[in-house]
Amino acid sequence: MAAGEKGYRAQSTRVKKPVYCYQCVAGPDLLRVEEEDGIAVRVESNYAANGTHPGGGRVCVKAYGLIQKTYNPNRVPQPMKRTNPLKGREHDPGFVPISWDEALDIVASKLRNIREKGLLDESGYPRIAASFGGGGTPTQYMGTFPAFLAALGKVDLGFGAGQGVKCYHSEHLYGEFWHRAFTVSADIPYCNFVISCGNNTEASGGSVGVWREADARVRGLRRIQVEPHMSVTGALSGEWVPIRPKTDAAFLYALIHHILHNRDWSNVCDIPYLKQSTNSPYLVGPNGYFMRDAKSGEPLIWDLADSRAKPFSADIGDAALSGDFVVSGIEQGPDDAVWRHDNVRVTTSFEKLRAHVAKFTPEWAQEQTDIGADKIKAIADEYLAHACIGQTIEIEGQTLPFRPVAVMLGKSVNNGWGGYQTCWARTVLAVLVGALEVPGGVLGTAVKLVRPAKSRVGSVIPGPDGFMQFPFNETTKTGWDPNPHIRNAYKTLVPIAANSPWSPALGPAHLPWLFQKEQPDHWPKATMPDIWFCYRTNPAISSWNAPQVAERVAEFPFTVAFAYTLDETNYMADILLPEATDLESLQLIRIGSTKFLQQFWKHEGWAVRQPVGETRIDCKDMTEIATELAARSGVLREYNQSINRGAAGISLVSNTYNYGLAEDEKHDVNTIWDRVAQAASHETSDGEEIHGIDWFKEKGFMLKPYPQLDWYLYPAIKKQGLRFELPYQERIMRHGAQLGNRLHEAGINWWNRQLEEYEPMPGYLSFPDIWIDHIKEVGQKPEDFPLWALTTRSMQYSWGANVGLPLIREVASNVRGHKGVMVHKDTAKKLGIADGDPIVLRSPTGISRGYAVVRAGMRPDTVVIIGQFDHWITPLAKDFQMPSLNSLTALSLSLTDATGSGSDITRVRLEKDTEPRRARA
Amino acid sequence: MNILESANPAKRYGMVVDVNRCVGCQTCTIACKHANDTMPGVQWRSVIDIEQGSYPDVERFFLVTGCQHCAEPPCVPVCPSGATYQRDDGLVAMDYDLCIGCGYCAVACPYDARTLAHEMKFYYGEATVQERHVAHKERVGVAQKCTFCIDRVDEAHARGLTPGVDLDVTPACAGSCIAQAIKFGDFADPKSEVSQLVAERDNFQVNDFLKTDPQIKYLYEVPDSIPGAAAIAPTDDEQRDPNNPLIGKLQPFWDYRAAMNFTMGGTGSGLLTVAALLAAAGFVPQDMVIAAAPVGGIVIAIGLFFVFLEIGRKLRALNVMLRPNTSWMTREVYVVIVLYPLLALVWWQPSTGAMFAMAIAAASFLYCQARIIHAARGIPAWRAPLIPALICVSGLSEGSGLALLISGFLGLSIPPALVAVAAVTSVGILVLWLLYLATAQRERLGLLTRDVLKAITPVYTGVMLLSLVALGYGFATASAIAMALAAAGFVACGVLWKFTVITRASHQQGFVLPHMPQRGAGNRAAPHRPQGLPAYRNANAA
Repeated sequence: MAAGEKGYRAQSTRVKKPVYCYQCVAGPDLLRVEEEDGIAVRVESNYAANGTHPGGGRVCVKAYGLIQKTYNPNRVPQPMKRTNPLKGREHDPGFVPISWDEALDIVASKLRNIREKGLLDESGYPRIAASFGGGGTPTQYMGTFPAFLAALGKVDLGFGAGQGVKCYHSEHLYGEFWHRAFTVSADIPYCNFVISCGNNTEASGGSVGVWREADARVRGLRRIQVEPHMSVTGALSGEWVPIRPKTDAAFLYALIHHILHNRDWSNVCDIPYLKQSTNSPYLVGPNGYFMRDAKSGEPLIWDLADSRAKPFSADIGDAALSGDFVVSGIEQGPDDAVWRHDNVRVTTSFEKLRAHVAKFTPEWAQEQTDIGADKIKAIADEYLAHACIGQTIEIEGQTLPFRPVAVMLGKSVNNGWGGYQTCWARTVLAVLVGALEVPGGVLGTAVKLVRPAKSRVGSVIPGPDGFMQFPFNETTKTGWDPNPHIRNAYKTLVPIAANSPWSPALGPAHLPWLFQKEQPDHWPKATMPDIWFCYRTNPAISSWNAPQVAERVAEFPFTVAFAYTLDETNYMADILLPEATDLESLQLIRIGSTKFLQQFWKHEGWAVRQPVGETRIDCKDMTEIATELAARSGVLREYNQSINRGAAGISLVSNTYNYGLAEDEKHDVNTIWDRVAQAASHETSDGEEIHGIDWFKEKGFMLKPYPQLDWYLYPAIKKQGLRFELPYQERIMRHGAQLGNRLHEAGINWWNRQLEEYEPMPGYLSFPDIWIDHIKEVGQKPEDFPLWALTTRSMQYSWGANVGLPLIREVASNVRGHKGVMVHKDTAKKLGIADGDPIVLRSPTGISRGYAVVRAGMRPDTVVIIGQFDHWITPLAKDFQMPSLNSLTALSLSLTDATGSGSDITRVRLEKDTEPRRARA
Repeated sequence: MNILESANPAKRYGMVVDVNRCVGCQTCTIACKHANDTMPGVQWRSVIDIEQGSYPDVERFFLVTGCQHCAEPPCVPVCPSGATYQRDDGLVAMDYDLCIGCGYCAVACPYDARTLAHEMKFYYGEATVQERHVAHKERVGVAQKCTFCIDRVDEAHARGLTPGVDLDVTPACAGSCIAQAIKFGDFADPKSEVSQLVAERDNFQVNDFLKTDPQIKYLYEVPDSIPGAAAIAPTDDEQRDPNNPLIGKLQPFWDYRAAMNFTMGGTGSGLLTVAALLAAAGFVPQDMVIAAAPVGGIVIAIGLFFVFLEIGRKLRALNVMLRPNTSWMTREVYVVIVLYPLLALVWWQPSTGAMFAMAIAAASFLYCQARIIHAARGIPAWRAPLIPALICVSGLSEGSGLALLISGFLGLSIPPALVAVAAVTSVGILVLWLLYLATAQRERLGLLTRDVLKAITPVYTGVMLLSLVALGYGFATASAIAMALAAAGFVACGVLWKFTVITRASHQQGFVLPHMPQRGAGNRAAPHRPQGLPAYRNANAA
């Protein structure tokens, strides 16, 4: 035996326990944790899932941080109580240890008090609020806490922790509206050509994304990465095309222009797809709304076969895509406005599209984007050359169109101002060649707004005008709710945010923070919640203008923080509750089917997360905390009922089984998950194989086949005779007009700029100027801030609360940019900055310090900051002296788009820092 | 010898790394750290992030690095204890219990694959319960590196499984890789995946010009998508960029203590060689060699003591004697064992035979030193072909300088033969130095190294020339002061260049890649594919 390996092989007890990792939105992935003598010692992928998990059963670098996460000596070791009533960064909270009993009683008594007072405050907002981070991933760790929240009744889940600016916001909303794509993925296993505008999939796509992309790359997939700095994904692409920040829409519009004007569109586009599966042939009236049949109200199509207009549902011989036609009919405008037209000359949506993009020539785009017109044309030509129009492929016995091309968008491209434009242009590019929701093309991954939540394909339900149903928030006079039910007012301000459990996080989630400081006119008073829970989130670091959010958090009267280590948010808390973390608690979750970001499975089922090793601190499983809080605050029955209804992931009672919990009893953690396990295995096996939680603890997961055909929406669309609602956005336009009417009726004018975004085909603004104008808005001079600052994903750090893990820091440091601000070498030279020099970044509203990382692979007018840092209290991380874009971005209405999102971008000034610094970790 | 050395004679384990798959995510790095319980800062497997070119003609790629398990591993023959050895299945393995921690293997490795950790470290300062549980005390103070997860390979052998196919017994980096960029297998089996990959696709070995035949082979092109291209030579700026991971860093293993050995050992053995030969031939009085013997002995001993200070496991120092068949470090020790009795003999009874014998032993010591440093193939400045000659001739020059000082100290008349030897060897070393410099680029000494060498050359040349002038003047005028200055100059020149070469010009090899994927921006981008890919290519179907 080689020396060195003798150490651990002689151990007495050694077992590998299966768990899942869902630290990031690209999960879940499956792993095994080696336990020796009651200690979790090592992590490895769960190779038992090699053949079923779409990433070969592998976990990414983050999962290997879990051991250190568990044994981090900086953890909050037991419940704590604040003793200093003054809150803020400058005030030591004076936390003192208390017992779990005391901690839970304090929280429960607050809740009982609130329930007695009434759940809503004087503004009509819930007195109880809760915030979670990480794009829904906290749910995978919080056990039955959702059941507890449901039992409480009204809870404001709309205080953001960076949502909107840190997510694919416009893509979430429009993507789900157009093709059930809360996030969008190329059908990578079949795709041959991808234009990626800043989609950093090799850093953010998770192990599955990396796995599938790598396979595709060596198969021959060609990717062109368009972004201001050469990310990891840019590095792995055939070509990196540097683009001026926030001009992606101009680039995409020029691609469309080239296809529709420079090329013979009737030869290069997928004409049958456009005619039959989109609204391209719908006729548009003089006021911009669809021309409709006066009798049925259905939009009209001009049938070339018999040269007359017909309702879309009629038997159409050959729908016209272009040309002018004289027709009669009606237009249905906003608020029941109806215009009748007799023999007016109208044209098609498609022709409107051609006219819309006529001015967006590649030469025009060159001026906007800094990408050569010839390059833009070449990319558009390549896109067409790869589209394989007319080809088909057989999937599970069914013949489907094969269109192996896609356009992907990254964060800050697909959110904030310009997000609507890029999302629309990308999806239009897909439909032009028939690549939306077919093999090889552009697919959605999961649904979060429409229902049923667990079936994308099942959510293809007929709606108006031949399109899919979509649950817009009402904007009609009778339906619009003028009184926001939570502080971010998503139902009131953002019709497309719908009203699902995810919607609170998808509204303008920064508005509560902003309005707390700047009360808007004609709006309920921006009250603070009486009690605020925060779990796996650190908005004082992760929000836009994080320092300002930290100040707002400090104003909250009572905060209960589930606390792993001390951090910048829980520093302001009144009670710290150390919850059992990833490898210390028990939970069962759904896995498989299709999930973001690239989790396209051929299986679905359930996986377990379980304690590994003995717990070393006085923490509790979230399920136990939820149960205790429910019991102590008097909602135990409602809590158990909520679990029985499905708050733990599956209904425990159905027509075919009953594993329900007794409603008036407290159940221990194992019992609750044992019932869930039985229901889950019952569902997965159709009642053939019922397993308790111990079976899952041993085996790790249970799966059944999931059809690949369900990756694609196209078959369901065809089957139901539906169309994708593209390229023309009549419904969006109507909702915008109605929303404007409602707001103006209420005297609200501060949302006017956002109302302009509701266009049937989004126009182009010089988006970079929005941020330049904002400099003036805050009373500063644009010339003082000559550079763009952007951020980019750190695969190693993102999501996992692992900023305090030195192991992660060690390996992340191997990747360029993890030691500071990335600056182009010519820019650095001009400013007298050398690699490793201390620097300071100033934006119109913030400041951040770090060190220079000098690079060649980025635009000279741009600096890039990786991840989210600038910690000032989180142990270890506070010594990194890493900067953060979140300290530089402004929290501002003028930087908020109509969907309520912003972009991670700001203008900055870069200087060498001359102030003395403490030693860096 | 380890029993497993002959366990799998028919195997040749190795890896294939696909540069177009690797995304630099460091999952392999961290999986290796888990599987092998390595300390903070120790990475047996690491992925470097490389960026080359000037905007917008830039490319960036990631390279999996670590022990290459070379078929001709430079680290194995140099190891004086036998701790580093090569198994019949190709694995270059370590026996931590034998290793003395001299770092010789580390400077011999052209792939920066080895680490010496001289103290136990923990991530949070104090050990966590898990760190205490998995700590490997046996690795402190010794060389360590990737073992290809040797325990898994052996477990596979024992259980009849196939590493690379059966994931539980596959090296952690390959098993964990989320891009399937790292494949492990048996190159001796033509049906193995690794064999097939290298048979079907163009590949390269890093630093192939060193003929070490590394067993990690890199795929760099994708047909019809990302062509391979000859690597573009880094610009001078890139070669001087301290953050360019392709460029070798200053080696951290041998410091001033090693330089002391090569300086003191060279001067001492040079003195003994010159004095004994000249005395035996009757060109200098016997008093000279009687005085030189203890001086040389002490000088050499001081040098050796400094080496002793450098090794990580001092109590195991005698293991240095276990590899006489290949290691010049071992051989040096054996020469020392012979040299010191002869030295005593000469001091006590300076017969001609004893003097000759001592001269041979001292010259052998000097030669061993020359070969020791020359065999450190990981350091271009050391492995250069002129290094042995430089060490030997410099030793004689320094030795004759010291002999001149002794001669003056003893009040002897200036021996012409000694002056002649000093003059010839000093002119010789000067010429060799200039040749060494002139051939440095050809011999792949990096720009950082050459910068350092060039920087000392004016001083070195100046002192050497002045010393030669002083030597001539002193000889002509019998000036003891001039002779002393000349002698001191010769010794100082030796000290200057050896300290420089050992401690400041000792940049590691770095990574020379003959090919790279053609991808990136501007003129480095992969070509457009205007015709598309007309059909679905079912290489890796969903």
